[in-house]
Order: sequence, then C-alpha cells, then structure tokens
Amino acid sequence: MRSSLVIAAALLAGSLPGTALAQSNTSTKNVGIVGTVPIICAGGTLTGGNTFDVGVLIDTTTGFLRSELSAPDQTLAGSYCSTRTTINVVATPMTAQNFTVTPPEGFSRQVDYTATASGWTTTPASYRTGEATNPAATQSRNSAFTGPITVGIGGFATTGGSALRLVADTTYRGTVTVTLTAVD
Amino acid sequence: MKKLLGLSALVLVVFPAAAMAQANPSNTGNVAVNGRVAPVCILGGPNPALVDLGVMIAITGTRAGRIAVLPAQSVSLPASFCNFAGSQVTVTANALLAANAGAPPAGFARAVNYTATAAGWAAGNAATTTAATANGSSASSTGSGPSHPLPKLADIGVTLSSFSVPGDNLLVTGNYSGTVTVTLGPAAVAN
Repeated sequence: MRSSLVIAAALLAGSLPGTALAQSNTSTKNVGIVGTVPIICAGGTLTGGNTFDVGVLIDTTTGFLRSELSAPDQTLAGSYCSTRTTINVVATPMTAQNFTVTPPEGFSRQVDYTATASGWTTTPASYRTGEATNPAATQSRNSAFTGPITVGIGGFATTGGSALRLVADTTYRGTVTVTLTAVD
Repeated sequence: MKKLLGLSALVLVVFPAAAMAQANPSNTGNVAVNGRVAPVCILGGPNPALVDLGVMIAITGTRAGRIAVLPAQSVSLPASFCNFAGSQVTVTANALLAANAGAPPAGFARAVNYTATAAGWAAGNAATTTAATANGSSASSTGSGPSHPLPKLADIGVTLSSFSVPGDNLLVTGNYSGTVTVTLGPAAVAN
C-alpha cells in the first residue's frame, strides 16, 4: 500500500504543468489508484495431539458398545477468514476396515457419532452420521473472523441399534471434514 | 463355562488439514477417526446351572442296584456369541464320581459315564463321552466341534445322555457329582 502511494504522488507531480512557466491556465488530471485484497481463509493448525483417544469401543463383558465413550476435543488454532463465511462439517461413520461383508444377525460393523465444529459461529456446526439430513451441518458468520475452531466427536451409537454387537476388527475408521468457505 | 475376553483399544487419529493457510476462499480439513474392536466370545449363563439326576439306580427288579435308564438332560447357554470369524466350541466332561473316594469292592463301581454334546454353533456338534473306570480314574474327556466361519450369536444347547457304569457294575452308595465345561473361543489352528 505504501509503495503505491509513492508512485501515485510522483505521477501527480509529473502531470502538473510547470509552474515556472507562469502560464495563466492550469490543467489538472486525476490518476486513479486501485488495489485488491483477495478473500482469504485459513483453517489453522490442528492442536491437541492429533489423536482422538476414545479408548476401548466395546464393553468386553457384554460385547456391546461402551456407553461412556468420549474423546478429548481437538482445536484448529489460527483459523481466520477475511470476509463473511460458512463453516461446514461432515463425517463418515466409523466402519470396520477388514470385516467388509454384511455382518451376521446380531452384529454390526459400524458406529455412528456426532461431529461438531464450534467457536466460529454462534451455533456450532454439527453433523451426525447415519442421519438422512443434517440441517445444522452448515452455519454462517456475517463478518470476518479469526479464532480457534474446536472439533469434537461424541454420541457414539452402534449402527442398526444398541441390541447389536460390533464385529471384531483391528481398524474402525471414519472421517470428519471441516470446511470454511468465504461468501462473496 | 469360560469366557474369552480380548483386550480392545481404540485409537482415534486426527490428521490436521495440511494446507490450511492458503489464499483460498475455501479451506477444508480432514480428520480421520480410527478405532478397533478386539475379538470377544461370551457364553450365556447355563440354564439350568445344575443338573440333578436324582436316584440313578434301579431300586427293584433284576437291575436293582445297577444304573437305571436315565433320560437325557438338556442345558441351554442362551445368547452366546463370538464377534469374529473362526470360533469353536469345546466340551470337557468329567464322569460323575462318588463322594467316597475309596476303592469300590469287586463288582461295584463309583463312576457314572455319559456323553456330553454341545449343539447349535457350527455345522457340527462338539461331543465327548467319558470313560472313567470302576474306581473313578480317567474320568475326564474332551471333544471339540468344527470352526464357524463368521461371527455368531446363538443359543448353545448341551445334552447329557447315554449314562452308563463301567462294566455295568453295581454302584456304591453315596452322592455323586461331575462337571461339564463348555468353552467358546478361537478355533485351534492346525499345525
């Protein structure tokens, strides 16, 4: 910005008629100066160990999903956007990666949960896997903002109902995706 | 009844958005969520937990003092399950032995043999027949069923049948007791 003003001043000076010529008329020209600040959004850096540690998925005395599952929140620090924005969160269920066939009666190979992204909007963006619709998944903010985004997961439930047990598998995997989008 | 309990640990890994600081009006961060479920087998509680055969000998007639015809006995282990493929039922039976451990006189026995069969799990049953001698030695025997290829939830039915006495001897007086142990767990791996 500063260098642009210097150039403009020089141009203005050059456009003035030489006063030493003592002409009776003066001439003035305007040179426009324009600049652009692009919309920029940055999601920040994830802190919190990069790991949701929920612990053991099942109660080994019953085979059912543990009722007290929880995971510490993760934080996206340094997030900012230079204009109004929407924040969106989507997630996929935790699914057995090795046991890929349809489980037998009485079993499930999937766990649903709710993912939330809070701190950016008044109402956190929230997405529950397995739901037909997630109207709270996208939230809007009408101003530029910088601040941390807290990402959390919770509300774990066995897909198909609590009467089902989870098949053994070394890896159950899901994904949470948080998107910041500038709104022109 | 035995339970196979596997330790299970869940690790959820979060991957930060690698390129979040780009001059872009839209930024996306992906978070992977990982976990695992350990293999677990649990047998339902046996119903009944105790099989009472009552009086086991004929009281009158030509077989007085010798084992009577005892009806088969059924025990259910409801809602037994394994959450992994390749599980197997094993039955270990111990013949009923007289509480009096003394050697029986000639012509007498202190053991009652029987066949224990566990059904309802794999394509074939797990079965074994005890072969205790008259004095009660070698009272234990074990049999296993085939492997089941998928996780399973089912009632396992155990039948005790074909009660007999070594040599069809007379049974010594007293209280008799035996045990049946049902094990549900990973199928044995052939060498």
